[in-house]
Amino acid sequence: MDTDSTVVAETETVDAAQAIHGDSDSGVVIETRNLSKIYRDFWGRKKVNALKSLDIEVRKGEVFGLLGPNGSGKSTTIKLILGLLFPSSGRVLVFDKDASETSKNERIGYLPEESYLYKFLTAEETLDFYGRLFDMSGAARKQRVDELIKLVGLQGAKHRQLREYSKGMTRRVGLAQALINDPDLVLLDEPTTGLDPIGSREMKDLILSLKKQGKTVLLCSHQLADVQDVCDRVAILDQGELKELGRVTDLLKVQDVTEIHTKRLTPEVEAEIRAIIEREGGTCTIDNPTATMEDLFLNIVRESEARPGARRVTGTGNSKEAADEGQKAEENQGEAGQ
Amino acid sequence: MILQPEDFWSFYEWLMRPEAFLESAFLQGIVLFILAIVIGLMVGYIISANRYGPGEGFYAVARAVRDLIRFDLPGTSAHRVFALARLAFKEAIRRRVLFVVGLFVAMLLLAGWYLNPESSDPARLYISFVLTATNYLILALALFISAFSLPNDIKSKTIYTIVTKPVRATEIVLGRMFGFMAVGTVMLVPMGLASYLFVSRGLSHQHLEVVDVVEEADGTLVGETDFVQDHKHNFTIQPGTVEGDVSQGLTDVIRGHRHIVTRDANGKFEIGPPAPLRARIPSYGEIQFYDRTGNSKDAGVDIGAERFATGGYGSSGISRVIGLSRGSRKVQHGYVEGGTLGKAEFVFQNVTPERYPNGLFLDLSLRAYRSYKGDIESGIRGSVTLKHPSKDIETNPRTFDINEYEVDELFLDLDQEGTDNNKTRELNVFEDLVDENGQLILVIKCLDRSQYLGVTQSGVYLRAGENPFWWNLSKAYISIWLQMAMVIAFGVMFSTFLSGPVAMVATFACVLLGFSAEQVYDTRHFIDSGIERGGGPIESMVRLLRQDAMTTQLDVDSTAAQVIKTTDAGIVYSLDAIATALPNLPKMVGTAEYAASGFDIFGALLLRHATATLGYCLLAFIISYFFLKSREIAA
Repeated sequence: MDTDSTVVAETETVDAAQAIHGDSDSGVVIETRNLSKIYRDFWGRKKVNALKSLDIEVRKGEVFGLLGPNGSGKSTTIKLILGLLFPSSGRVLVFDKDASETSKNERIGYLPEESYLYKFLTAEETLDFYGRLFDMSGAARKQRVDELIKLVGLQGAKHRQLREYSKGMTRRVGLAQALINDPDLVLLDEPTTGLDPIGSREMKDLILSLKKQGKTVLLCSHQLADVQDVCDRVAILDQGELKELGRVTDLLKVQDVTEIHTKRLTPEVEAEIRAIIEREGGTCTIDNPTATMEDLFLNIVRESEARPGARRVTGTGNSKEAADEGQKAEENQGEAGQ
Repeated sequence: MILQPEDFWSFYEWLMRPEAFLESAFLQGIVLFILAIVIGLMVGYIISANRYGPGEGFYAVARAVRDLIRFDLPGTSAHRVFALARLAFKEAIRRRVLFVVGLFVAMLLLAGWYLNPESSDPARLYISFVLTATNYLILALALFISAFSLPNDIKSKTIYTIVTKPVRATEIVLGRMFGFMAVGTVMLVPMGLASYLFVSRGLSHQHLEVVDVVEEADGTLVGETDFVQDHKHNFTIQPGTVEGDVSQGLTDVIRGHRHIVTRDANGKFEIGPPAPLRARIPSYGEIQFYDRTGNSKDAGVDIGAERFATGGYGSSGISRVIGLSRGSRKVQHGYVEGGTLGKAEFVFQNVTPERYPNGLFLDLSLRAYRSYKGDIESGIRGSVTLKHPSKDIETNPRTFDINEYEVDELFLDLDQEGTDNNKTRELNVFEDLVDENGQLILVIKCLDRSQYLGVTQSGVYLRAGENPFWWNLSKAYISIWLQMAMVIAFGVMFSTFLSGPVAMVATFACVLLGFSAEQVYDTRHFIDSGIERGGGPIESMVRLLRQDAMTTQLDVDSTAAQVIKTTDAGIVYSLDAIATALPNLPKMVGTAEYAASGFDIFGALLLRHATATLGYCLLAFIISYFFLKSREIAA
């Protein structure tokens, strides 16, 4: 993706969002101050110190990722931000309001870790119900519900009760309900869990499009690849403590290694480059990059949707053929990238 | 059914108790609210002080109160409450609670096997059966749906998607309560219709022919109907009661109903359908007893059992809890000695031609007490006399036989022979006997020497009118609805801080304690007055294990007895206080008894129940709010 154009899009949309809500604040959407959470048992005895003095700021228009292993405090943080848990000490401010205030929810959309929805409702009823909770008028609600059902691709199943849904479909309804109020801040708890690679790609695309619309997204995940794909900034938590915080691009940049991407390098040129670098006293490895499993999978699925029928299986474990397949995928990736 | 003095109270009397404010429902409600607030604040403070420390804890409690008044109450949106109520309703319906209605219908279908067809009053049997069945079924259902719903949502975490929307705790609580009340309503309506059909169709029957008709010397026809549904009637027809050769008469009352028998010009008899079920609207009078020498007394003669009468304490409210009101409040029969100057006088108000255009319908539910066996074949006889309140004018006594345990219906003509200052003449009730204030005195005497006749205030009344049965049944159903609303409010309240099964047990315990309130009060009465009646829970356990009778002295050493009695008193006093705080459900269930006995359910009574229900729902709502608000949903 073109870096320059992204930057432009970002500034535009942030301005737009500010114009809509008339916020004159510094653009901080979520602020945690010295946030700690201690889980206690019934008798008030300390069980777990789930979160220790967390200080983070999530700014308007960014996609912020909370990363960490299981039990690191990611979900706890999200629940504290939503007011589902009360902090043991410290504060959370959302849109400059305390997390315990109900009114903040007007501008928030939340997709829980698993889509906890009423199984006895149909998709349409579910969205209609959540729309009612925002006091939306009948007409607006109907329009929004139709839009969202289309967005998450459930037109064919909207009259079925959720108990009949697959995990991925439930997840889509969950996502739709999080967006029912066209929120300014979207909190996603493990957004890609339970989704197949296509769904997971769509989810990531959706997050990026939300960002384009100027929304702020906070997600927590341990699918590192996903985080890398969509997040502007990440905070890495472990055992309830903040271990790292910064822009993804900065954090992942390996300072003393240079990467050159080029197409169809002839062996002669390759030798020449190698010679130049060695002349300067450096060492280098020149290799074909490997594509990600996600790209391979998505390409195969797209191909089979375009041309249904049997596909020639190329990668049968034979090392030479496997290498060919890698070559092919690389080419495909190049095409897809354009 | 013996109505107690409190049953006669008007709504205002109940609410304010003009002469005894300590007993008023209003005071009881206020005290309950204040207690709830004080205890709530204290518990809230202890919890939050434990969580945040003493200083911050105080602010947390203050913030919670401020939030309710400043944000959550004004911010509560009817739309959101409706959306949540709709959800609760859908949930219940899609979980197929309507099967309970099917269960009820199945129960009605099978009921025929168990309801005694030879009962002397099948209407009472049928009505009390359907009402009792509905009542307990609906209460059980209310208990289940209300106690499990919220904990289930919290357990399955669906609540996460609700509370992260701009939904306030007030709305969650109200939505749940209203939703379940709607479910209950949807179920009560078909159950009510089924009950109405069951009772009215179950009791309808047709006598087709007459047998053994004998014409007496004055032309009066006396005969019997045929034997249908385990009974037959005797009837009497006075000649020419309609016009020409057509005459009409009534059968006697058998199994709670009678028929009209018509003899047409051709001498053919036709027996009408049973008189429809009805709801008598009684007009009660003030009672005054006179002893054998003619002196006025507060109470009638006590024939022995009345001294041990207990109950009725529910009406004494706060004054009993704080020990100011003691003794039984329950009115039993007062007795009038036969063949003496002893009598019972009833002063009836509002005796006007508009209310009684054709005559006075007098209903009597009396008791007879024989001090010697006498002639066991014939009943004890009594007499009624109508009397002017201030002048010396009275009708000749009309005698009747006392039928115990059923309602004697007497019809008193407007024109009767009587004495006006020792002159015998024809008297008119409205012109000669009723005074300018619309008052009339009715005197009841017992005619048999040394036998006794028992009356209560509710046992003697003028029947001012009748309401249709369906309306009375509806009122009984409204009363069931109110109980259901109360159980739902309690269930939802407990479910905001307890897990489903525990919330259900807690609600059930409240219902149970509410139901046994009068027994708890009785036990306290016995303890207070030192009457040996088994004592409190520990004492009765000891008696059970030792197989001692409950009226003997507790047979353990004096220190042990002291300890047991003191502990018992503590337990019983606490139970008394709790039971006073809980809704008086037996009183509400008791409205079924009105319908079964064929009495119109007083509007004031229903209004009292409705007010109490509203009060308890409000209290439950506020408590629920605080629990839900202070709860960490995700913990």
